[in-house]
Amino acid sequence: MAAYVVRRLLWLPVLLILISLVTFALGIYGPGDPVQVLMGLHTRPEIVDQVRKEYGFDQPFVIQYLNYVSNALRGNFGYSVVKFPGQSVSDLLAKRFPVTFQLNLVALAWSLPLGIALGIFSALKRKSWFDVFIRALVILGISLPVIGLQPVLTFAMARKHEFGTFSIGPFLPVGGWKGMFAPEVILPAFILGLGVLAVFTRQTRAAMIEVMTSDFIRTARAKGLKEWMVVGRHALRNALIPLVTIIGFTIAGLFAGSFIVEQFYGIPGVGSLAFDALTSREYYIIMAFTLIAATVYVLINLLIDILYAFVDPRIRYQ
Amino acid sequence: MSENRGLIAIVIVLLVALVGLVCVGIGAVVYCPQPGSMCQGLFGAPSNVSQNNPSQQPTAVQNQNQGQNQNPTQNQNPSQNQNSTAPTGNTLRLPGGSGLGGDPPTLDPALTSDVESATYIVEIYSGLVSFNKDLKIVPDLAEKWDVSNDGKTYTFTIRQNAKFHDGRPVTAQDVQYSLERAADPKTRSTVSPLYLGDIVGFNEKYTGQAKTISGIKVIDNYTIQIDIKQPISYFLAELAHPTAYVVDKFNVESGEQPWYLKPNGTGPYKLVQWDQGQLIVLEKNNDYYGDVKPSVDRVEMILGGGSGMTRYENGDLDAVRVSIADIERVSDTSNPLNKELDVEPQLSTGFLVFNTRKAPFDDPKVRMAFAMSIDTAKIAKVVYKDMVAPATGILPDKFPGFNPNLQGIKYDPEGAKKLLAESKYASGLPDIVWSTVGGGGAAGSDTQAIAEMLKENLGANISIEQTDWATYLSQINGTDVDFQMFDIGWSADYVDPHNFIGLLFRGGSPSNWSGYDNPEVNKLIDEASVEPSLEKRIEYYQQAEEKILQDAPVLPLTYGRDYWLTKPYVKGAFYPPLVIERLKYITLEK
Repeated sequence: MAAYVVRRLLWLPVLLILISLVTFALGIYGPGDPVQVLMGLHTRPEIVDQVRKEYGFDQPFVIQYLNYVSNALRGNFGYSVVKFPGQSVSDLLAKRFPVTFQLNLVALAWSLPLGIALGIFSALKRKSWFDVFIRALVILGISLPVIGLQPVLTFAMARKHEFGTFSIGPFLPVGGWKGMFAPEVILPAFILGLGVLAVFTRQTRAAMIEVMTSDFIRTARAKGLKEWMVVGRHALRNALIPLVTIIGFTIAGLFAGSFIVEQFYGIPGVGSLAFDALTSREYYIIMAFTLIAATVYVLINLLIDILYAFVDPRIRYQ
Repeated sequence: MSENRGLIAIVIVLLVALVGLVCVGIGAVVYCPQPGSMCQGLFGAPSNVSQNNPSQQPTAVQNQNQGQNQNPTQNQNPSQNQNSTAPTGNTLRLPGGSGLGGDPPTLDPALTSDVESATYIVEIYSGLVSFNKDLKIVPDLAEKWDVSNDGKTYTFTIRQNAKFHDGRPVTAQDVQYSLERAADPKTRSTVSPLYLGDIVGFNEKYTGQAKTISGIKVIDNYTIQIDIKQPISYFLAELAHPTAYVVDKFNVESGEQPWYLKPNGTGPYKLVQWDQGQLIVLEKNNDYYGDVKPSVDRVEMILGGGSGMTRYENGDLDAVRVSIADIERVSDTSNPLNKELDVEPQLSTGFLVFNTRKAPFDDPKVRMAFAMSIDTAKIAKVVYKDMVAPATGILPDKFPGFNPNLQGIKYDPEGAKKLLAESKYASGLPDIVWSTVGGGGAAGSDTQAIAEMLKENLGANISIEQTDWATYLSQINGTDVDFQMFDIGWSADYVDPHNFIGLLFRGGSPSNWSGYDNPEVNKLIDEASVEPSLEKRIEYYQQAEEKILQDAPVLPLTYGRDYWLTKPYVKGAFYPPLVIERLKYITLEK
């Protein structure tokens, strides 16, 4: 087991080097330039050249890349050029990561348990009205795009609706970030969680249906066990095994999802920073974001595999 | 089950209703402790604000303590949060920055290249001179100045009563330090060469060839002398830009990363709180040296984006910038909000640029024919819902040197056809690509409308190509612009016609996008830029403007307008077209 984990971890640096090379090359050779974006229309070629020189952007690709890597290894991930000139990328990420983390935590906190619970009930009451209802919810949750949902919900929830003299709302404050317990979090977390809810309901339902029709459940029932014992102790445990994978990837994927949501609601998290960085060609922020995302994916993947060995004794790694 | 599509459709409808209801429920429960919401009506008594505070009307000092002592993320109980309730005390609540919200990229004056940052910087810091409400240059940190006879040497006398927020008096050495710092290549300012590049020795320092700027001399503690290369008449306007503002050396070199999170400025307001993505709080500087003293004790700038209009109507904001979606509603005179509406001209013009280096726009007749086939008045009315005004010249209306006699390029499709027939492309226009900033999807309705007009009136075959902003900039910023035809908006950096006519149309200027190069116009611009008499200069610029319009390297499309709503108890608020100090003019009457 230990050898397996080490082997897997050794692949991480190789992967990071490859990803960083590609990302860096795209940044340098792609169209657009951070110093130009910084100057906007008020440009003068000699100033752009001078500032590029100060940042070292005039160096050849290899030198720039090696500089970046050697600085990164010493914990310096460069500085922002356009959006927060002079602030170090690590400071920016450190300030924004907790926000994204909390937002995603709230999104998961409501959607994950609810999704699993709905999935179980949906599987147990298969073909009932409840099941149809839940499946409709799943379709809705998977197919509604954030871009479409956001303005509708914001309009419905955050506006004062006037009907002549009678008016209701606004129900929820929106925009900005006041911590994970402030009501501002509700709309973005709801939108973020909707997809998770759908995926988990669907997967849990499928897994439960499969397990419930298997032989050992029939045996358990034949032994005369109470139904809640059958479901809770025997069926659920086995049904949860495939969910481990999805949980891992959902957590990793949520960070990508909060890209759009953060942008819409003006939440100062990693997602909105990355969005700004992409539009203004901030190489260093893009690099840091990509590398962190890659690392998180690799680690979560590994974690899932390890967890498998614990939840499913049949799995062994050499 | 899945065969029964009708059933599923009904279920989906039910589901949407359920989701809505759940939201309303959660919303009501969570939002309820906050007074002023609908809960007061629905759930009886509002939660008691005074429970946690002996005084219902917190004074500014209490607010200040609250701001300094409480970490907002720990302040979870909305009932303690008086900031979002009805206005109390002497606190002004504004949308962040220029009204769009969001964190300012920087509060370092030397680096300020954007409106969002500048909005705070002009309140927190100050320069030797600044613009007053009427956009005239007035003394600021300098109480007076002398200009030598050749117009190349400025001697400033600094006020003896000017102090930094920490109480240290401002001296000529501080001014020198700030200007030297802005020029230092290590500061990596992209704006300082634009505004300070006329100072003797600036470029040598900026490019690392010299250690100091030779043109800046400290005469004594309160006198500083600045030499400029040419007797340019707009030098004082350049000095009014944040890049030239005074910073405190000890503050900058404090080692705090970055230092400007705790700026020690000299302006009428000081920064007391900056919660990124949430709130910036400014408090009045009681020691402010200026003649107009600030009145409002505390200004809260809300950084969270989103529905400012909603918050304004709910009474959580004292002013808001109206977006195009709400323009029609607030412009309706029967709407009570209409009385609170201010429409202010911006110093900006939108242009359609014809690249004179590319076919078919190398022929002035084709350019003129294109310009004559576009009905700018109709675009402003129909597409922009009158949110902008049709442009009649290059200089925006309300800009010094604006020529009210200009009629713009007249919409005349018949004349345009005739001109095209006389041009060297009479036998057939090549296909034309219009480059515009966009993220895919449909092009803006203005772009589509204009392309349609050109097609209808001239039979031009126009395809619209969208690029993102960074790519677009890398294309147009250069001497060899590849785009054939593109649209662009230009806003003034300082109030001088040179900023439009000189920068955009002088042959060889880096912002001369159309590649227009007319010796006559160049001569007029060169003469104007060194002419000391303002009236004469304006005359030169107006002549140049007229000639440019005849050659039509661009078609001026629109003049920008800003729409603001302000609560009636906010007195003295105004929305200048340039970023200038304005908070100190505001009083609250409640």
